Amino acid sequence: MNSRSYILRFLFFVAVQVLILNQIELGFGIQLMIYPLFLFLLPIEIKVVPLMFIAFFMGIIIDSFSNTYGLHASASVTFVFARNILLEIIQRKEKLDSLKEINVHNMGFVWQIKTFGLLLFVHYFWFFFFEMFKLNELFYVLQKTILSTAVSFIIGGLFQHLFIRPSNKSR
Amino acid sequence: MQKFLAFIRHFRVFLLFVLLQGISFYLYFSYISFPRSQYLTTAGKIQGEILKKRDKITQHFDLVYNNKNLQKENIRLKERLPQNYIQLERSKVKINDTLFRRQYTYIPAKVINSTYHKRNNYFTLDIGNNIGVKRGMGVVSPKGIIGIIHNSSDYFSVVKSCLTEKLNVAIMLEKTGEFGFLEWDGRNPRYGIMSGVSNDYKIKKGAKIITRGGDGIFPRGISVGKVIKTEVIEGKPLWKIIFKFSEDFRNVQNVYVIQNELLKEQKQLEETVNE
Repeated sequence: MNSRSYILRFLFFVAVQVLILNQIELGFGIQLMIYPLFLFLLPIEIKVVPLMFIAFFMGIIIDSFSNTYGLHASASVTFVFARNILLEIIQRKEKLDSLKEINVHNMGFVWQIKTFGLLLFVHYFWFFFFEMFKLNELFYVLQKTILSTAVSFIIGGLFQHLFIRPSNKSR
Repeated sequence: MQKFLAFIRHFRVFLLFVLLQGISFYLYFSYISFPRSQYLTTAGKIQGEILKKRDKITQHFDLVYNNKNLQKENIRLKERLPQNYIQLERSKVKINDTLFRRQYTYIPAKVINSTYHKRNNYFTLDIGNNIGVKRGMGVVSPKGIIGIIHNSSDYFSVVKSCLTEKLNVAIMLEKTGEFGFLEWDGRNPRYGIMSGVSNDYKIKKGAKIITRGGDGIFPRGISVGKVIKTEVIEGKPLWKIIFKFSEDFRNVQNVYVIQNELLKEQKQLEETVNE
């Protein structure tokens, strides 16, 4: 994939998030977010510093459409930061060099939960915690976090199966 | 100096992380109380236009609910028309315009974007400074209170709705007159909280709650909700009154922005007291 198709993908994810997912209400405090998947799917070669700027920029755009004034930006910078740490830990054990992109096709389901699921949890927890900003609401924050993570993880998986072709190298 | 540079190089990722977090939190915590520009809110020109386009498609889903409400309001207003009344004493009826002066005017507006599942929820309206919408004006719907204008640009404005942590609107019980403040706990968009009522009052279930007026934002008597139950707050002699909002914020489309023509006079008068 070249950089132009990544820009198109960026616009697509922002549009889906802003125009569709922001309007869907499932109850129990669940909020659907698809844009962390874009940050997750960015190629491994990109260094963490430009990655953080991309995440901040994306978050600010989504903030400006949902009146959260910087919460999405903060959460997505955290997401990228945690992703970097996670990738370093994985790379110490195994070699990821052969992979360009980490998606569900070349990782498998279990690894998807261990990486994307975990990062999504961190993202949501950060977002909801600072949105509430009260320690005695921690249980409610956790409930929202876990439910939202589960639903968004499923949607993220569907997205990858629908819109991303498995690369020829892996199989 | 060399050591300092080496330190920065070593921790540059973490330092950038802290810097970006600092910027975002600074934006968040300053904008939540006072948004200084419209570019980061849905009152911005680009955001407003895009959301307006989307609303043109999605508005049809809530039309039935909103039309019913408008119809009900029309019936209520039509019943007040003079042609529906029989004049009892002809000679005494006299219209004197100098007795009443209009204080509140209503500007109709359309909600083009709204949320209700966040901790703080905002509505975006399709009118702005160009027809006199300003920060701090009240917003109501045919069924009851909606919120207060938080920020406005030339053609759009953002409403801080009742579904935020603290709206600071004075509300009261219609029959008995105890007053308190409107709050929301962030759980269910149908239920709000009235705080600040002393717990030696007896609160009846089903009692109507209305705006108190006097703050210059809302006139007295706009419907807010009906009492569901009261809870005791531990360690405080106050009730936590849980009530059901009279408006369902999930599918409201037509609202009115309230303009108080005597607000300036009231504010000037109140300022002299403080000094």
